[in-house]
Amino acid sequence: MWAAAGLVLAVLLPFAASQGDSYESFMDVSTMVGIYVCMALGLNIVVGMAGLLDLGFVAFFAIGAYTYAIFATPQANNFLHFMDFPLSGNTFWLFILIGGLVASLFGVLLGIPVLRVKGDYLAIVTLGFGEIIRIVFNNMDKPINITNGALGLSSITPPTLFGIQLLNASQFYYVVLVVALLVLFIIRKLEASKVGRSWRAVRENEIAAQAMGINLFKTKLTAFAVGALFSGMMGVIFASKQTFIDPTSFTMLESITILVMVVLGGMGSVPGVILGAAVVTILNLQVLTEVSNWLTDLSVNGGIAIPDVLSPSKMQRFIFGLLLILFALYKPKGLIQEKNRIVDPKKFTEAGENAHASN
Amino acid sequence: MPMLQIKDLGKNFAGIQALKDVSLSVEPNSITAFIGPNGAGKTTLFNMITGVYPPSTGEILLEGKSLLGCKPDEISRRGIARTFQNIRLFSKMTVFENVLVGCHNQLKTNVLTAVLGLPFTKKEENIAEKEAYKLLQFVGLAESLNEEAGNLSYGNQRKLEIARALATKPRILLLDEPAAGMNPRETRELTDLILKIRDEFKLTLILIEHDMKLVMKLSEHIIVLDHGEKIAEGNSHDIQNNPKVIEAYLGTGAVAK
Amino acid sequence: MLENILRTLPQVLFDGITLGTVYAVIALGYTMVYGILKLINFAHGEIFMTGAFIGTAILLAFSSLGWIGTLPIIILVLVAMFLTAGVTGAIGVGIERIAYRPLRKAPKLIALISAIGISFLLQDLVRFTTEFANDGNFYLIGPELFKSNINVPLSKMASFLSDASFKTSFLFVLVTAVALMIILDVFVNKTKWGMAMRAVAQDRDTAALMGVNVNKTISLTFFIGSALGGATGVLFAVQYGTIDPYIGFILGLKAFTAAVLGGIGNIRGAVLGGLIIGVVEMFAAANLSTLTNHVIGAEYKDVFAFIILILVLLFKPEGLLGKALHEKV
Ligand SMILES: Nc1ncnc2c1ncn2[C@@H]1O[C@H](COP(=O)(O)OP(=O)(O)OP(=O)(O)O)[C@@H](O)[C@H]1O
Ligand SMILES: [Mg+2]
Repeated sequence: MWAAAGLVLAVLLPFAASQGDSYESFMDVSTMVGIYVCMALGLNIVVGMAGLLDLGFVAFFAIGAYTYAIFATPQANNFLHFMDFPLSGNTFWLFILIGGLVASLFGVLLGIPVLRVKGDYLAIVTLGFGEIIRIVFNNMDKPINITNGALGLSSITPPTLFGIQLLNASQFYYVVLVVALLVLFIIRKLEASKVGRSWRAVRENEIAAQAMGINLFKTKLTAFAVGALFSGMMGVIFASKQTFIDPTSFTMLESITILVMVVLGGMGSVPGVILGAAVVTILNLQVLTEVSNWLTDLSVNGGIAIPDVLSPSKMQRFIFGLLLILFALYKPKGLIQEKNRIVDPKKFTEAGENAHASN
Repeated sequence: MPMLQIKDLGKNFAGIQALKDVSLSVEPNSITAFIGPNGAGKTTLFNMITGVYPPSTGEILLEGKSLLGCKPDEISRRGIARTFQNIRLFSKMTVFENVLVGCHNQLKTNVLTAVLGLPFTKKEENIAEKEAYKLLQFVGLAESLNEEAGNLSYGNQRKLEIARALATKPRILLLDEPAAGMNPRETRELTDLILKIRDEFKLTLILIEHDMKLVMKLSEHIIVLDHGEKIAEGNSHDIQNNPKVIEAYLGTGAVAK
Repeated sequence: MLENILRTLPQVLFDGITLGTVYAVIALGYTMVYGILKLINFAHGEIFMTGAFIGTAILLAFSSLGWIGTLPIIILVLVAMFLTAGVTGAIGVGIERIAYRPLRKAPKLIALISAIGISFLLQDLVRFTTEFANDGNFYLIGPELFKSNINVPLSKMASFLSDASFKTSFLFVLVTAVALMIILDVFVNKTKWGMAMRAVAQDRDTAALMGVNVNKTISLTFFIGSALGGATGVLFAVQYGTIDPYIGFILGLKAFTAAVLGGIGNIRGAVLGGLIIGVVEMFAAANLSTLTNHVIGAEYKDVFAFIILILVLLFKPEGLLGKALHEKV
């Protein structure tokens, strides 16, 4: 019911807004909300469901983005000579999958050494990994120019659908919407299955989970891989939407931002995390900039002078830091707390009768 | 052949000799009790049988096959289940889900089949759910199936741990102080439950317990540990009259009845 | 190739040891807090960074008072370090009180999240305080205190070595850092308070039963760790000149690696780990390019601390000097 209403809203909302410039920027924010929702849902698997604190999650987003960007620009000509790059926008659809799988592969490669390590070290190792990936992308312009280093990759081919190039945000919005629904579907299925149950069991108590026959390492690795998959997929979409990427889009601040979405929304709670991602993205892209602009206006128009230093758009770290602390202290379950599946015992009455008979 | 055989088992924790040269064997379909004063090494023994700690010396055989080097989850798959002295439930999950986690090994689902929702996935999930419900009825918790496990009373948490362990379909069940924190009525119910488990599930039971009344009533075989060493074994009559046992207990202020 | 490496080795060692002592003292803070709370205090790198800013601000104040040049520099720096240590120590105690203590019984994940929050908050507080005071710039350049360079004419002693040189501040940093570590070691191992800290680290409940005031001891641990971190920040600023609010992050990561390498919870291990990481990093910076035939260069030096961290966690998680522990079940 709720889901249906949300869907109708998500599809129709764009029509409600007026056309023109403000419409495009509105759609741009909506598209970014969709991208972050999917990433936050991915991180939620790792942090919320499996209880593994990953502080370098943006690395997988970066891997997905670069996977597409390198082949969708002439960049790949630097090291591949059997065909001509950039690839056409038709390949974008395939690359959503490829980017996700490559990121997932890196998740597994990182996970193999790291997930054997005690829980709290994981946080710092993933933090390091996030930095390393950024350093590597920043410097892989030599000896062979693969990522174009700090200059980044520009003029990334936008997706093509039925011969039409998708160029503006209102078109991307629907791409993201479809992918987001797919991600949501997958997560819902996993959550209710044996897989989701073992993630939660591992989070609640590793030793007991093991005693139930759950292979800790495999279970954690799966969480890592699935989380990375979603993040990588969104990276591809992000790269094609922005048509330009460089290593500065993938800093630790990004990783923490996604973590804030999960913590704020409610760790482990799918509706919560969707809400958290929407709130934080809108706060980040819309509210902070607008308040800043408003403040600048105030000081320009001779009102009160607010120093530029305090401009809210520069205060992300402060705001996110504060949110993390406040939620950890006062609302660790987030805005919408994780709910357990309720089963109807009537479902088992027949089984119940059998048990009685055997007693 | 004995169900479980332990040979010269020893465990050293950075200087503390928690267990020393313990040998024993457990017969199939029997109820054995490990008793001894606090810190005697009983839980440590359980932890080694279930693969939580690797032994420093010695060997553990399940139906003649060594368990050395097996991880806890492999040991669970080979048919040994346990409960924990300091309750380890999945406390934020429901009572029902706790038991379903115990069904982990009998489910073949993986990420892919779960997403695709294949018919066999649904079928095996249904079977597991029915079994989980049956187990909850068996231990008397069917009413609370949707409650958060952490909110159950102490006694019920212990029962839930038993149901969860049974869900793994073990051949040996290890119970670490199952009556701790229970009132006399609950303890009596537990005694009946344990007997019922042995008979209905045809399994071998080993329990650690400080409640001597319960131990004497249930156990066919009792093994007494003190300071990491086995100081006596036998049936309840032998143990009650063994001067070494009396000394071990009186020495620490506990009273063996 | 080897000749080249050998030739520059003395310089690498000087630089590596300087950096290593900085890592070592920061690592002490991580190790002490981890030892007592079993929590990675993510904010510790930021405490160090805050210390660097406070110390530099104090030194700049001295400079504007015209004291630099008239009073002995070493005294001035020591005074700045002392004041800074007091402030960062207090900040550390405050952080523990507000952000960690209420979460002592909460799941580890929640406490870690709170720690990350503190770390971000501090970065930005320092950033905008600095921008306020420094014309909108978020970095700070300290007064130049140790102007002279000391040349070590190694080539005269052995023809296969090149000359090495270091700033005079190197000696100061080294001596002060070593002094701090010795004082800490004595404090922890010889005093009543140190004994309380060790007792709480080993078994909080038993320590409480024995009459140790656990909360006070934890506060003390935070005070000492953060005071040391802040003081090291001053040393860092003196040695390297320019500082910004983000130095604490990567430095903290490396110092944490040092703590793990040495054996987390082990004070001497932290020192050993710090020195190893410092030297390895400088060695990598100097020789990576030569060693890999210019395929990768000095810009990858930061990767090494991280690789060491993973290797240690995998193959020797208890560290070089630590003891292996099993979680009690
Ligand atoms: N992980 C561990 N690290 C260090 N020492 C341990 C560990 N686990 C157990 N010990 C020590 O081993 C000894 C035996 O402990 P164990 O828990 O096996 O005793 P127990 O017989 O179960 O006692 P109780 O009746 O109190 O449960 C104790 O001295 C205990 O402190
Ligand atoms: Mg015990």
